[in-house]
Amino acid sequence: MKKKFVSLLTATAVIATSLAGCGQGGGSQETTKAPETQAPAQSTESGGAAQSAEFAYPMAAGAKLTYWAPLNDNVSANYSNLGDTFFGKALMAQTGVDIEFMHPPLNQQVEQFSLILADGNLPDLMEYDWLPLYPGGPEKAITDGVILPLNDIIEQYCPNLSKYLAENPDIDRMIQTDEGTYYCFPFIRGDGKLCNTIGPMMRKDWLDELGLEVPTTIDEWHTVLTAFKEQKGATAPFTYEQDREQLRDTDPFAYAYNTTRTFYLGSDGKVHYGAAEPEFKDYLATMAQWYKEGLIDADLATLSVDQVSAKMTSGTAGASVGWAGSRLGAWTKAAQATNPDYELVATPYPTTQKGAYPEFGQIENQYSGRASVAITTSCKDVERAARMLDYAYGEDGHFLYNFGVEGESYNMVDGYPAYTDLILDNPDGLPISQAMAAYIRGCYNGPFVQDLRYLEQYYTLQNQKDTPDIWGASNGKAHVVPPITPTTEESKEYSTIMNEVRTYRDEMILKFIFGTESIDNFDTYIANMEKMGLSRALEIQNAALARYNAR
Amino acid sequence: MKETFSVRLKKDFRRNKMLYLLVVPVLLFYLIFQYRPMYGALIAFKDYTPTLGVADSPWVGLDNFNRFFNSVYFNRLIKNTVLLSVYNLVFGFPAPIILALLLNEIKSKKFKSATQTVTYLPHFISLIVVTGMLRDFSLTSGLFNDIITFFGGERSALLQNPKLYRSIYVASSIWQEVGWGSIIYLSALSGVDSELYEAAQIDGAGKWKQMLNITLPGIAPTIIIMLTMKIGTLMNMGYEKTILLYNPATYETADIISSYVYRVGLLEQDWSYSTAIGLFNSIINLTLLLIANKLAKRFSETSLW
Repeated sequence: MKKKFVSLLTATAVIATSLAGCGQGGGSQETTKAPETQAPAQSTESGGAAQSAEFAYPMAAGAKLTYWAPLNDNVSANYSNLGDTFFGKALMAQTGVDIEFMHPPLNQQVEQFSLILADGNLPDLMEYDWLPLYPGGPEKAITDGVILPLNDIIEQYCPNLSKYLAENPDIDRMIQTDEGTYYCFPFIRGDGKLCNTIGPMMRKDWLDELGLEVPTTIDEWHTVLTAFKEQKGATAPFTYEQDREQLRDTDPFAYAYNTTRTFYLGSDGKVHYGAAEPEFKDYLATMAQWYKEGLIDADLATLSVDQVSAKMTSGTAGASVGWAGSRLGAWTKAAQATNPDYELVATPYPTTQKGAYPEFGQIENQYSGRASVAITTSCKDVERAARMLDYAYGEDGHFLYNFGVEGESYNMVDGYPAYTDLILDNPDGLPISQAMAAYIRGCYNGPFVQDLRYLEQYYTLQNQKDTPDIWGASNGKAHVVPPITPTTEESKEYSTIMNEVRTYRDEMILKFIFGTESIDNFDTYIANMEKMGLSRALEIQNAALARYNAR
Repeated sequence: MKETFSVRLKKDFRRNKMLYLLVVPVLLFYLIFQYRPMYGALIAFKDYTPTLGVADSPWVGLDNFNRFFNSVYFNRLIKNTVLLSVYNLVFGFPAPIILALLLNEIKSKKFKSATQTVTYLPHFISLIVVTGMLRDFSLTSGLFNDIITFFGGERSALLQNPKLYRSIYVASSIWQEVGWGSIIYLSALSGVDSELYEAAQIDGAGKWKQMLNITLPGIAPTIIIMLTMKIGTLMNMGYEKTILLYNPATYETADIISSYVYRVGLLEQDWSYSTAIGLFNSIINLTLLLIANKLAKRFSETSLW
């Protein structure tokens, strides 16, 4: 009898364990405090003419909206659903709309997005990187019958967004398609300073010790890195995460030679491919020389964020490229725990001549196409959805998305929205990024306009606060390619060509730097890219640019 | 007079009702999850958009296949996929057999089970962890380089060297799978009649002769079946390990069909293209499988079917 019982128990346990995998994966649920009753926001006065003056938030009870969006990892650390956060609850209370948020597993939004499309059961709202990621572009998403064109909807139901776009015509141009169709409620960085978040940085304490100035030219960088290697024992004086495309493409040394690894806008107003230009040869030659001298990390090709972080905080490396928040700030805080003298400084983008103003530098478009919300063709109550989204572009919504709930997450101090200690010094010990993510979306992205004042407070260290000025000091804005799209017919041809070119480019750049391929073969390298159809790709890009400029 | 098939079936059914019932879920599984989805392979010949669905997407014939064949990297991808598979086969296939034979000779039970446990364990380590370890150990400052310098060599970034890539890939696969793979051979070995060994010993055969004449022929059916199945998956190298271990510096030996398609697919979400390549892979695999089975039938008594 006992034997039977034991075996029955084991069998049940085995079945239960195998079924555990079927459950929903998700972050741990923190017991959320009961939200304080939100004072309903004052009715937003409409500025548009086609708007009935009686409309006010919160809206009357109505249909529930389904909203699909990737969940940022600063949120998922503590919540499994955006609707459980203080932000989510406040949004629903202030707009009066009940929202059911749906999230794909972390970092799987691209795969899940395709599955949802294939399934046909679209949620009402989808937050996605429509511009860069939908194959064929946003215009195709409309013709495929996935999302609705928004021109009439915005005119009728979105006074806040209409007003913002009227006041910002260059942004208005960015968020339309070439045919002039609006397709999403965009994520906009409200200030240029929010757009340069990546740049070079190095050990300030080492510089001081060695009596060196912050380098501004390639030659000065060479001197500094050599000193790091010989006098500070750094085995990898300069290192960075090769496996991150965004960091590869913003290589500061390429910028110094007035070129870049990817597409840029030349001074002639045309799109160029930096990796195929003659200046690129000079950049590669310098890099190959530095690599030979041991100034660049020998394991460059295999580095990921953990290894780079370890090297930067332990003293194996002295300089790197990265974000002000998650690299500069994070490394400083981590290293200072054991080495109080540790100091990182953001360096300006280097040039080849002393005193020259950097022509190139990292900067993103204020509208990058990311994290924008489209209304799908499955949405039944379009007016409700549009008004809910429009809330973000009005004054109350702007404060909610960027600063949270007044009295809880921020207080107005002399007209400046200052975060409270709940955010800056969280009593439960949450890091700022997570405390913020529970109350606002300003610290990552979403369908709203990002406010600079969030960044001013997010950067707590002085070296972080200096970054927008240091890294922003360049003419990079003139060279960043605006958000253009190829036509749907051309986009397949374009991606076929670019896939091969990219593979080839990535391979050859490393070969040149490592010295496996001699720089003298640079012309063969360019010829090969031509054979793959690079000129056709540039033709397509320039045609897209012409259409963009004509918008 | 021989009864017709339906009569025999009915008789057999009546006698073995329960067995048929047992096999019904399995049949359903194959019909629903393996055969029905084959309909989707059609999208290899279409320009598939999820919103139009399989039926309504326009036909493009062999366009997707041509695009693949005309790709600059087509030759390299095929070469890398085949070479990596062949290396895996040539070095990775005998390894579990040898381990099983060795384990079989161990007299001490304790030592035998200890060795078995130690060799099985790597199979359960997740691929992500294994490749993470490999990447760390292969750094210029990592463990592998320490060992190399100990033997008088020079330090280098191992995973950036295309010439070393295949060795690292295959060696780590062997390390991870040799223990688990030996299980099936061990069980086959236990099926070899011990009287044969005794008879051989009486006839004066040494250990080596015994192995050649009794053990190996004894487990030959298992070996042949396993080999045939392995050949059938030659072109199917999965992309997971590749994309975790490779980087642009090693593309020339590391980039295989599935990793290339992964990169292309992720950037474009081009379902038709990836399906076309998958179909191409499957056709090659099927051909190889048929050939392998024919050869097995010709040269031995065992074959898959």
